[in-house]
Amino acid sequence: MREHVGKSSKLFNGFTSIMRRFIFKVLCVGPIPNHISFIMDGNRRFAKKHNLQGPDAGHRAGFVSVTYVLQYCQEIGVPYVTLYAFGIDNFKREPEEVKCMMDLMLEKIELTIDQAISGNLKDLKVIFAGDLNLLNERLKVAAQSLMELTEQNRGLVAVVIVAYSTSHEIVQAIRESCVRKCVDGDSPLVLEMSDVEECMYTSIVPDPDLVIRSGGIDRLSNFMTWQSSRSLLHTTAALWPELGLWHLVWAILKFQRMHDYLQKKKKQKLD
Amino acid sequence: MDSNEPMLLLSSRIGQIGDLGLDLLWRFLHIVVSLFHIVSGIFEAIQSYAISLGLIQKYSSVDIEKLRCLAVVLDIEVARDVAKVVELLQWLKTIGVKQVGLFDSQGLLKKSKDMILEMVPGSTLLQETGEKDISPDRKEGIAIEFISSSDNKEAVVKAANILLKRHLKTSHPEKDEGNNVFTESHLNEALRVVGENVHVPDLMLVYGPVRSHLGFPAWRLRYTEIVHMGSLKYMRYGSLLKAIHKFTGVRQNYGV
Repeated sequence: MREHVGKSSKLFNGFTSIMRRFIFKVLCVGPIPNHISFIMDGNRRFAKKHNLQGPDAGHRAGFVSVTYVLQYCQEIGVPYVTLYAFGIDNFKREPEEVKCMMDLMLEKIELTIDQAISGNLKDLKVIFAGDLNLLNERLKVAAQSLMELTEQNRGLVAVVIVAYSTSHEIVQAIRESCVRKCVDGDSPLVLEMSDVEECMYTSIVPDPDLVIRSGGIDRLSNFMTWQSSRSLLHTTAALWPELGLWHLVWAILKFQRMHDYLQKKKKQKLD
Repeated sequence: MDSNEPMLLLSSRIGQIGDLGLDLLWRFLHIVVSLFHIVSGIFEAIQSYAISLGLIQKYSSVDIEKLRCLAVVLDIEVARDVAKVVELLQWLKTIGVKQVGLFDSQGLLKKSKDMILEMVPGSTLLQETGEKDISPDRKEGIAIEFISSSDNKEAVVKAANILLKRHLKTSHPEKDEGNNVFTESHLNEALRVVGENVHVPDLMLVYGPVRSHLGFPAWRLRYTEIVHMGSLKYMRYGSLLKAIHKFTGVRQNYGV
């Protein structure tokens, strides 16, 4: 009986995989975003909604969503994905919750390191961006190890944004660019926009084409407001752990509808 | 070699038919999406007219005090329609909005600011005066700020240069990490020095084809609710009231 159920389950999974790839093949007839950013909101509400126990229960469910979203983006062929995992404002939460989230991040990074070593990451390149000095030492070291292990991968680039806010990023970028100017005796002591922008945490990726926020909230919450001038901002009512294939497909279809307009905006004189 | 050619031709034809099939499916998918948008647009229009006529009780009163600062982002194509912009400002004044920042990336509205201020009775140009300066005649009117892309990244770079000059005045600038110069409050202050308003809008209404802030000053956009209102040409009073009413019911955690 178990064998029968196992076979049916495999068949079903195989069928859904074929259907999914077919849907993506249709989607890829149109333009695909070069960079999608995700504001992963709604984990705590999900835990409350489903009476899940433990301060990190919602975030654990959220991580499952992360794996699916990365898989889908890889299959669609999106080159860059940014995941807003932890904001600087989130440090103001209850210490127990913050510790749980840090421990969970560490656990998942170590799991991903194991997968990278055993060659199961399918060429995924992982980068951590944000003020990593605000993280505990163990987490910082693990993040660094994962980045080094996946540095040579040439597939989907997944940027995990931690300890971040736009305001903090701008101030730190200004600080860094000023210090560099002072150290570099050759160039004139005037900052240009490029000096500031190259010091930003997110300078490693192009500006996002599409920003998707889960959880039904209509704001950016201090996330990439500098980089999203020409981005399509999409909000979905689904909580992050509920975000699935169709939510992603819907957002990309919306992007495709507006692609010509967004391209026109990019070509106009930018800020 | 010759026997392979028909096979190659056949597989090429099959490939072309396959691509055509995918293309048709993609177009069909987008037709379905467009139909969805048309139908939801019709429902929104009906609801908006019902709100304008006062038929929906929920929207008859709005707690406007919660909305201290409103931003309106206009696509440059719609920003040219000054008459519509003036009409929108009059609606906002009727609802009770006291302060509005009008943004378009190219600064077209800045060029028309005198005309707009003249055409909106009781409007004044918002200066960087801070919260204390509320003169009696301003209480009834609407203060308007005109913003463009030059107030975004360019302004931050100007402010950054002010901070650089301060940093250079320290005794060993190349060794100093600048903890006393490079903070958010110092940047706020430097932005004020270059003539920028640093107040964060509570709500942003976007008039244009897409929901995008189009380069609104990033420094001010941190916790702003962003609502897409559609085309300015077909703007509706009911939709405006609904968006503001919805905002007044929002509760922000600020990440906590």
